[in-house]
Amino acid sequence: MANKFDIQIRAEKQCAILETAGYLNDALGERLSKEAQELIEKGYTQLVINLDKTALINSIGISILIEIIEVLEQHDGTLNFCGLSATQERTFRMMAIAKYAGIFPDEKTAIANF
Amino acid sequence: MQLSTAEETIQRLIFSLSELEHLGQTLISGRSNFNISSKTYLRITLGTLQVTGGAILCYQSTDDFLNITASTPEVDVPPIEIEPDEITSLLECSFVDLDNPPDDLQAFIDRNSESLNCNSIHHLWVPLKIQEEFLGILSLGKFLGRSKLEEWEQELLTILAHQISIAIAYSRNEERIQSEKFRLFMLAESAPQICQLLQPEDAAEQVVHQAVALLDANVGALMFMQPEEQNLELRYVFPPDIMDSEDEENENKSNLLVPLNGSENDTSELQSATSVEMLANVVKEGRTHQCSSKADDLFGGRNLMAGPIQGRDGDILGVLVVGDKEERGGSIADFTFEDETLLDSFAKQAGVAIENAHLHQEALEARQLQAEMEEARKIQANLIPEKLPEIPGYEVAGYYEPRGPVGGDYFDCIELATGGWGLAIADVSGKGMQAALLMATLRAGLLSELSRVRAENKPIDMKSELLDMAMILNSLLYVSGTEEKYATFFYCHLNPDTDTITTLNGGHNPPLIVKSSGDIVWLGEEVGGLPLGMFPNDMVPLIAKYEAEQIKMESGDVIIFYTDGVTETVNLDDEFYDEERLEQVAIDSCKNDAAYICNNIHQSVIDFQGDADQFDDLTMLVLRKQ
Repeated sequence: MANKFDIQIRAEKQCAILETAGYLNDALGERLSKEAQELIEKGYTQLVINLDKTALINSIGISILIEIIEVLEQHDGTLNFCGLSATQERTFRMMAIAKYAGIFPDEKTAIANF
Repeated sequence: MQLSTAEETIQRLIFSLSELEHLGQTLISGRSNFNISSKTYLRITLGTLQVTGGAILCYQSTDDFLNITASTPEVDVPPIEIEPDEITSLLECSFVDLDNPPDDLQAFIDRNSESLNCNSIHHLWVPLKIQEEFLGILSLGKFLGRSKLEEWEQELLTILAHQISIAIAYSRNEERIQSEKFRLFMLAESAPQICQLLQPEDAAEQVVHQAVALLDANVGALMFMQPEEQNLELRYVFPPDIMDSEDEENENKSNLLVPLNGSENDTSELQSATSVEMLANVVKEGRTHQCSSKADDLFGGRNLMAGPIQGRDGDILGVLVVGDKEERGGSIADFTFEDETLLDSFAKQAGVAIENAHLHQEALEARQLQAEMEEARKIQANLIPEKLPEIPGYEVAGYYEPRGPVGGDYFDCIELATGGWGLAIADVSGKGMQAALLMATLRAGLLSELSRVRAENKPIDMKSELLDMAMILNSLLYVSGTEEKYATFFYCHLNPDTDTITTLNGGHNPPLIVKSSGDIVWLGEEVGGLPLGMFPNDMVPLIAKYEAEQIKMESGDVIIFYTDGVTETVNLDDEFYDEERLEQVAIDSCKNDAAYICNNIHQSVIDFQGDADQFDDLTMLVLRKQ
């Protein structure tokens, strides 16, 4: 697994997609949080986080994802995840992330379900 | 409608209480993150007390820094370092007036004057604490329309500061619980996941990845024991570029070997001085150790923790290393006792997974070897004649018993176009596919050479022919085999018209002739050359060149060709069957036909061996002139 941090951002109408690559730890998580907040401030309240290229997430990465959900909620926004591995999906359900954010297999479905 | 001062105050209090109730609801919902709610807390505080600006600074105990979590107006100030005695001084105060601070905080304020030089934010400080745990500072700027707070306002500020402290502590606890929940889930989830991996490389990679995520680490590595060399060999490292170096000295870190001998130091402490010592201590003591040697360049001088990977029988298979445990904000924390316990638990699961993967690999290799042996057995079965031809005026019998599924012996009896007969016996070094292939090469070369002799069909000098054949076969086997692959070989050309045999010995056991008179002759004993394929042709004459020998067969003469499996058969007393026993049995049975002699010698060897193991193939070829 490559450890090259990267975030690709694509905007589609009201929705913005953030695609991460690499280990979702504090460093990548903080970047993701900053990018998400900037998008929210620009008026994008429907965010998709694509974790297809992120095989590894630690507890700090999880707490940052929860934080993004809370910020979005303050702005009446919605977050959908896609590209999760089976383990990541189970983790998100166990950590109650799935209660406040949608989980979908791919970007297309995630966007279609806002 | 104009509101009186008292009414305004009541309105402010109602606003503050309703906002606090809302925050309290959020707080107990379990989804309140202080990084987000801090702005609201600050807004409520400033609004209730009618203050123009302020900030909430949170204290990070891992690095002794104060970070601004929320501020009005927003400012970008680097973290402020604070000493433990300054924290003690702050904890003793209810409020700190920055225009007139206590003496023991003056140095702290002076040291950070640049960061704190903003009167609209830093005018009055309220230390944030729960019991005696310092959590941060609530900082207020100038008060609207007054120089100081009323007494009731101070009481309200104390209550609000306490609420903020509770929110910080609650948020941190919540984070801790979430983190522990995540870790426990990951620990439970990782075991079946890594145990499913059947390739050792995949298992190693997953073990490191899971350990890194589980312990919030930034680096990880798995090293396997090389027990004979007392080394640890690096098998997988994360991130892969941690070992990248332009430094020539460190170029081979990806093939890193850590010698364990003499590296360990006797210590009851968990902390080792260097990473090499840490690894050695983990192996020696079979428990977790830590190391924070920044001067040590192994893994880039990180804050490391390592635990033993143990197999089912308790043997240490390797060491799992994690490093640079991160905290929110990017600071590096020390590994705790809980982390050690977690690594220990995970390493136990990893040990099972790695052992499973290795056992699976071994099973696959064994299956592959078995298939290879079966192929070799088929090849070899085609090389040994099922039935020997009948030679007019002679009897011929053979016996072959491989030690394993694939032996290294060969014998043959070939009818030549010249009317002669070729009898060959060989013993190829080694076993298995390589030996079978070398034997096939030898047989193909022999048949090719014998057919060349046949085609010429003219008077020939048999001795010279055999010497040429020896060099050709030697060259063929030398280029076909590896360094330690060769064959001892004995060839005998029988001319039934003249009853003459011409022999060539390539390092083989000399065949035994029992003359009809009862005399014993060891054939080719004095003229034995080198085994075939051991040395290149140009070296053969320098060591022991091949020679041919000719003798005449008389009625009743018996030649017994055999491989060393016969004479070197060992009994339970560790005695060899040896040439003397062979001689005796041959003499005793030489009046009978070749098949009887062959069976009699075989039975004698089996009787001698008793319950001892058979170490080598057993091969014989008996020729008797009627």
